Amino acid sequence: MRWPTDGTRDLARLLADPESAHTLSPLQWEGVVTAGRETTLLGTLWHRLNQAQCQTAVPQAVAWHLRGAQRVADRQAEALRWELRELQDGMLQRMAAPILLKGAAYLLADLPNARGRFCNDIDLMFPEDQLERAESLLFFDGWLGSHHDEYDQRYYREWMHELPPLQHQRRGTTLDLHHNILPRTFRVTVDAERLWRHSQPLPDPWRFRVLCPVHRVLHCVVHLYSETDWDRGLRDLYDIHALIGHCTAEEGAGFWDALISEAETLGLGWLLAPAVRDCQQRFRLPVPAEADRRLRRHQGLAALRPLRRRVFHYGLNTRTTRTPARDALARGLLFLRGHWLKMPPGLLVRHLTYKALHGDKDDPPTPQANQPEQHG
Amino acid sequence: MQVSELGTRELRRRLTHAGLCLQTGPFRTRIHSRIPAVADGIAFQYRDFPVVPADSFCDFRCHLRAPRTLRRFHRPQVLFLADGRSIFKPLAYHQAFPMLEWGMNWCVANQTPEHLVFHAAALARGERALILPAPPGAGKSTLCAALAQRGWRLLTDESTLLDPASGSVCGPARPVSLKNASIEVLRRFAPEAVIGPACHDTIKGTVAHMRPPEGSALAAGRPARPAWLVFPRYQPGAETRLTPRHPAEAFMEMASQAFNYANLGRTAFHATADLIDQVEAYDFVYSRLEEAIDCFDALAD
Repeated sequence: MRWPTDGTRDLARLLADPESAHTLSPLQWEGVVTAGRETTLLGTLWHRLNQAQCQTAVPQAVAWHLRGAQRVADRQAEALRWELRELQDGMLQRMAAPILLKGAAYLLADLPNARGRFCNDIDLMFPEDQLERAESLLFFDGWLGSHHDEYDQRYYREWMHELPPLQHQRRGTTLDLHHNILPRTFRVTVDAERLWRHSQPLPDPWRFRVLCPVHRVLHCVVHLYSETDWDRGLRDLYDIHALIGHCTAEEGAGFWDALISEAETLGLGWLLAPAVRDCQQRFRLPVPAEADRRLRRHQGLAALRPLRRRVFHYGLNTRTTRTPARDALARGLLFLRGHWLKMPPGLLVRHLTYKALHGDKDDPPTPQANQPEQHG
Repeated sequence: MQVSELGTRELRRRLTHAGLCLQTGPFRTRIHSRIPAVADGIAFQYRDFPVVPADSFCDFRCHLRAPRTLRRFHRPQVLFLADGRSIFKPLAYHQAFPMLEWGMNWCVANQTPEHLVFHAAALARGERALILPAPPGAGKSTLCAALAQRGWRLLTDESTLLDPASGSVCGPARPVSLKNASIEVLRRFAPEAVIGPACHDTIKGTVAHMRPPEGSALAAGRPARPAWLVFPRYQPGAETRLTPRHPAEAFMEMASQAFNYANLGRTAFHATADLIDQVEAYDFVYSRLEEAIDCFDALAD
C-alpha cells in the first residue's frame, strides 16, 4: 500500500535531528510510529528526543507510544541483565569467558544505542573448538536445542558460523552460540583468532568479553550487509551509525582510520563502504573527506554502483512507504544477494532446492496468536 | 462526527482513500478496505462511534484486502494487515468483517503502549466496573451482551484496559462477538438487541456481532473503578451459583490472562495486585441467563 507520508524518512530524520519533531504533522507522526513499531526503533527514538530535550514537541497521543516502547525496552534490559548473570554464574564458569555480541554487548558496555533498544536474545561467541563443549555444558543449565531436523543440524554445524539456536526450557529466552561473525561458506572468511586477540574484558562483576570498538562496528556492518532478510534493516543501520558516532566522539577522527584499515585487512571494505554511505544518507553521519576518499576505493564495479545504491536504499524502507513496489523488488534482490554471498553456487542450489521441497515441514507451526480466531 | 452522519458514499470513499479514522475509546484506528462487507459492517456496527478527520494521528493502521494471487478469482480470500504486515493466515472472503474485528483485537492486545490489557469482558454500573475473564466457550460474551442489554454499560467484550497509574479500567466498547447457539439465546433473551448478519463456517462456527448500545458507544473510553471480578462458566442445567474466589488464585488467574504482562514487568505485577485489592472476586456458574442477570444486579445494588 502507498502511504501518504514517508514514515521511514521521517523516522530517520528524527533520529538524526530530534529538532525536526517541531515540524511534523499528525499524519507524519503516525507514519513515524508505524515505521518505528516495525523496526523496533520507538524506544530508541524516545530516548533520542529526551536527550535533545525535544520531548515536549511530541503530541500526547504519540508520546504515549514512544514512552510505552521505552518502558518495554527498559524492562527487557533488566530481564537481559538478570539472564546474563544466571548464565555467567552457571556452567559457563567452567570455561574461559566468552565474547558477548550485539544487543547484550551494547547493554553491558553501556553504549548509547542500547538505550531504548529492544533485545530479546543473547549472542555468545566461543573459540570454534570449544563451541560444542559450551553447548553440552549449557544443557545442564536448561538450554536446549531447537532445530532437530537432520538437515538443519548439518546446515548450522557444517556451513554456518553458529549452532542451531538454544532456548531456555523454562524461560524461553533464545541463546545463539557463535564461533565467528560470518558463515564458514561466506565469500570472505574472517580470522576469528584476530577478533579474540583484540577483544576486551567487561568490568567486574561481569565475566564476559566484548569485541574491540572497531570489530564491534564491523560485526554490525557484516551482519546487516550480508543479511538475506532486511526486515529490521533500519534498526541495524542505526546501530552502525550510533556506534561509529560514539567511537569518533571518544577516539577522534583516528577511529575512521583504524576502522577502514581493519576492514581492509579483514577483506570487508566492500561491505563497510555501502554501510557508511547509507548512514550518511539516512542519518547524516559526518564522514571526514579522507575516510570518504578511502572508502570510495571499495565501491565495486562502476557500472553496478547506481543499482547497488538503489537496492540498499529501497531495501532499508519500512512498509510505511511511498514506493511499495520498488521496496519489494529491492527486498527480493537483497534476499538473492544474501544467499549468493552466503554460499558457493553449487551449495546454494542444493540448499534452496531442499528448502523449496521440504520448507513447509520445517517451518515452526504458526503461533497460536496468529490464528485470527484467538482474538475474538 | 459519528459514522452514521457520514453516509454510505462518504464512508466508502474514506475506506478506499485516506482511511476511515475510527475512535473506539482510547484508541484511534485507521481502516483501509475496498471490500463492501467491511464498509457495510462498519456502517452497521459502529453507527454511533466518532469518526475523526483523515489527517489526524491514529494509533493503529489496519488494511483488509484480497491476497494478490490467482486465488482472488477462485474461492477468494481476505488478508488482515496491521502496519502493512499480514498478521493472520487468510480467511474466506465472506469473513472479512469478523476478520476486521479479530484484527482490531490483535492491535489492542499487541500494540497498546501503556495499559495492562486483560483478555476479559468488562461492564460498568455507574462508576463501578465488573470484570469477566474467561477462556473461550465459558459464556463470557453471551453474559456480557445480556448485561449490556439490561442497563450495564459495555466497556469491552474482549480486552479490558487497566491503567496502572490510576487503577481504573476502560475499554473500546466495540461490538460483542456471539458464537453459534448464543446468537439465538441472546435474540430470545433481548429481542431489542441489534445483531448483525451471521457469518458461517468460521473456525469458531457461526459468528454474529451485537451492536454496542448507543449509550455505551457514546461513553466509550470513560473509565470506571474495578469493583467485582467474576470468573463465569456456563454449564448446561446448572443452578446459578456465585462463590467467593481466593484473592491469590484470582491474582494468578488474572496475570495469566494479561496479554502484555511480561512487557510491563513489575508495573504489571503491582497493577494486578492493586486490582485484586480493589475487587470482590467470585466464581460464577450459570445456565439461565435471566437468573444470572438478577444475580449481578443484586451484586450492584
